[in-house]
Amino acid sequence: MSEIGRLAIILGFACSCYAVLSIAWGLRTGMAGPLKSGRRAVWIVCGLTLLATIVLERALVARDFSYRYVAEHTSLDLPPYYAASALWAGQEGSLLLWLLILSSYGAAFLWCYRKRFDPFYDAVAMVVATVMIFFTGLLTFVCSPFRILATPPADGNGLNPLLQDPGMMIHPPILYTGYVGFIIPFAFGIAVLLMNRTGTRWIEEVRRWTLFNWMFLGFGVLLGARWAYIELGWGGYWGWDPVENASLMPWLVGTAFLHSVMIEQRRGMLKTWNVALIVLTFELSIFGTFLTRSGVLTSVHSFAESDIGPWFLGFILISSTAATALILYRKVLLESENRMDAVVSREGSFLFNNVLFVALTFATFLGTTFPVISEAVTGEKISVSAPFFNRVNVPIALALLLLTGIGPVLSWKRATASVLKRNFILPIFVGVLATLVGIPFGLHGVYPIVCVAGAAFVLATIVMEFARGIQARKDTEPAAPPMAMVHLVQKNKRRYGGYIVHFGVVMIFVGVLGSSVFQKEAHAPLKPGESLAIGPYSLTLRGVEEKQIKNAMQTRAAVDVSQGGKRLQTMHPSKAFYSKSQQPMTEVALRPTPAEDLYLILGGVNDDGSVSIQAYINPLVSLVWLGGIVMVFGTLIALSDRMRLKREEKLLG
Amino acid sequence: MNKASLRLILITFAVVGSVAYLILSGVKQTGLQYMTVTELSRLSQAPKAGGFRLDGKVASGSVVYDQKEPRLAFRMTDGGDEAIAVVYEGLMPDAFAAGREVVVEGTYRHDEKTLHASKLVTKCPSKYEAEGLGKDRS
Repeated sequence: MSEIGRLAIILGFACSCYAVLSIAWGLRTGMAGPLKSGRRAVWIVCGLTLLATIVLERALVARDFSYRYVAEHTSLDLPPYYAASALWAGQEGSLLLWLLILSSYGAAFLWCYRKRFDPFYDAVAMVVATVMIFFTGLLTFVCSPFRILATPPADGNGLNPLLQDPGMMIHPPILYTGYVGFIIPFAFGIAVLLMNRTGTRWIEEVRRWTLFNWMFLGFGVLLGARWAYIELGWGGYWGWDPVENASLMPWLVGTAFLHSVMIEQRRGMLKTWNVALIVLTFELSIFGTFLTRSGVLTSVHSFAESDIGPWFLGFILISSTAATALILYRKVLLESENRMDAVVSREGSFLFNNVLFVALTFATFLGTTFPVISEAVTGEKISVSAPFFNRVNVPIALALLLLTGIGPVLSWKRATASVLKRNFILPIFVGVLATLVGIPFGLHGVYPIVCVAGAAFVLATIVMEFARGIQARKDTEPAAPPMAMVHLVQKNKRRYGGYIVHFGVVMIFVGVLGSSVFQKEAHAPLKPGESLAIGPYSLTLRGVEEKQIKNAMQTRAAVDVSQGGKRLQTMHPSKAFYSKSQQPMTEVALRPTPAEDLYLILGGVNDDGSVSIQAYINPLVSLVWLGGIVMVFGTLIALSDRMRLKREEKLLG
Repeated sequence: MNKASLRLILITFAVVGSVAYLILSGVKQTGLQYMTVTELSRLSQAPKAGGFRLDGKVASGSVVYDQKEPRLAFRMTDGGDEAIAVVYEGLMPDAFAAGREVVVEGTYRHDEKTLHASKLVTKCPSKYEAEGLGKDRS
């Protein structure tokens, strides 16, 4: 069986090479035959990768330990669904998943444009196929998942207990769907330069692909944060770990692109900048894969130091150099059609949004790679961690929060004083009011105050925009308020979808503020009957028990939670000892409410029979997860808008 | 170049300048001196003030864990003869064990040759990668 998988990948490599050469030939000569044949080769790569994935999945689920990969990442006592998810537990499998998603994007792209016989789309497919050469090559020559052991062991090494979690079954595929998907915008950008393409149609297409990937990446990042919150058991969800940063960076640049591309659509400006942003987004997602898999930087995620690092660096170097050269070569194509009229305008605010997003990315990049950079520059290795990121990134993020309220309500070209007054007096008032209300509740410090005031300000602008839209349509289409709102959103999905996304962003800001600044912590060794007080809660240990579950031995404490003398519920923080790994695995007990999460960790049972309990109160953390869902919802609404594309299609005839 | 573009460029410079300031002052105030165990233990005099980051392995037989506090003390080595004592006030991470690779961050007391860690990260054990599986079939 393994030969089939191996052969499929080798053939995939050959087909990718063929696709690139054939399309290049077709583009050069203008013949339709080679173009068609090249497109078909991309389809075949997708099929072959799927075949290889099925072969590996079959081996994983069947626990065929003659495969090195299966022996490394699974064991007999592992439930089958976790064995299946071991596809992305190790390097070789993760790369295969990368290739599978990459080639699926290639196929999906060709399917979407199957009726469009424009060589431009063939050029896009050629760029995708070029990246496929890299990944199929890597899987063929450097790290094959189909290596067979000389003497298969009786049982495998087992799956890391941290990965034995439902969240971990969906987090990597969703994150990868976002990460890998940036290939399509990148390929569009390169194809535009290669084919000397003008016009705005491709911009709208690229915007939609980017929005789709951006949504998945953002959702994936949040799922990762949620997984860290529940599984890693340190009371938080974001630690500015290199791998977290690696997934955040392409998202940040992608966000910048989604905003600046609107200026290009509207005013024909910032073309070079936009292409540069697309290229950067893609390179950063490759860089993210490199960081996760190379072991250059220490991180909770760096499972192994491996030899694929140089390959990735080489790929990033070559592809970014080629892209830069192309941008310079096609300078004329990217010339701006308009000029900036005023600083206080939609364009102006979007420009600042871009500067800030790129600054945020740059600071994050610098902080993540600081040991390497400082050693190269000064010879002294300096490392930075969470305090650095908080210090640098928080003010930039707060400035962005304010812009979230300002930008969308400014008019294009130039905003007049009367418009400013009409749009901002009320929101500013609401922002100040929120601060005044918050101060008696313990709100203090510059950043928290700016965050609360900013969040209220942005909310007010969003509500005003909705109210105005409903008001304007009242005369033509009278409807009850909830229906009027639905109609309004349907009428301009892009715009109001955007507002909904912004609403989600505000929720996340407030959630992060609450759970970081106002977090409470308490810990104590408790004997049965003893209590620990935290915030308004009293935690009483009822007892502790040991029992066998699935492939682990579990120690489980029972803690009664009461508030003001009233018993609320019993929580069960626990620790599991996996027989395979001889390692404990802390399982947090969580009592989520909209206002705050009560988060209990079992330290362990002490010699004197007492039980060590650590407790956290994380206020408003639910808003972070809810905000993420709202963002996805808003993005889906914006994505469902096909009006503009249709209009442009009509124009083209 | 019109007035608006000029203004935009000026404001952009101001933004970039403030971000550069944030980064530089951030590194200065929160930067950690990144050393190996051998380098740190061979320092003859107290290092300049500031945080430290140390990579190394947990020395076998050195782990003392008081779960009640909680307080974790151990010695770190990098394979050489030298070792640095580390004290971490917090719960022992799941993956922590003698022989595991860890990264600690905190302040260093030269007179005690002890690093008081505020952060302790345990690298994932390499167990989940190739180990003891033998060679591939050729």
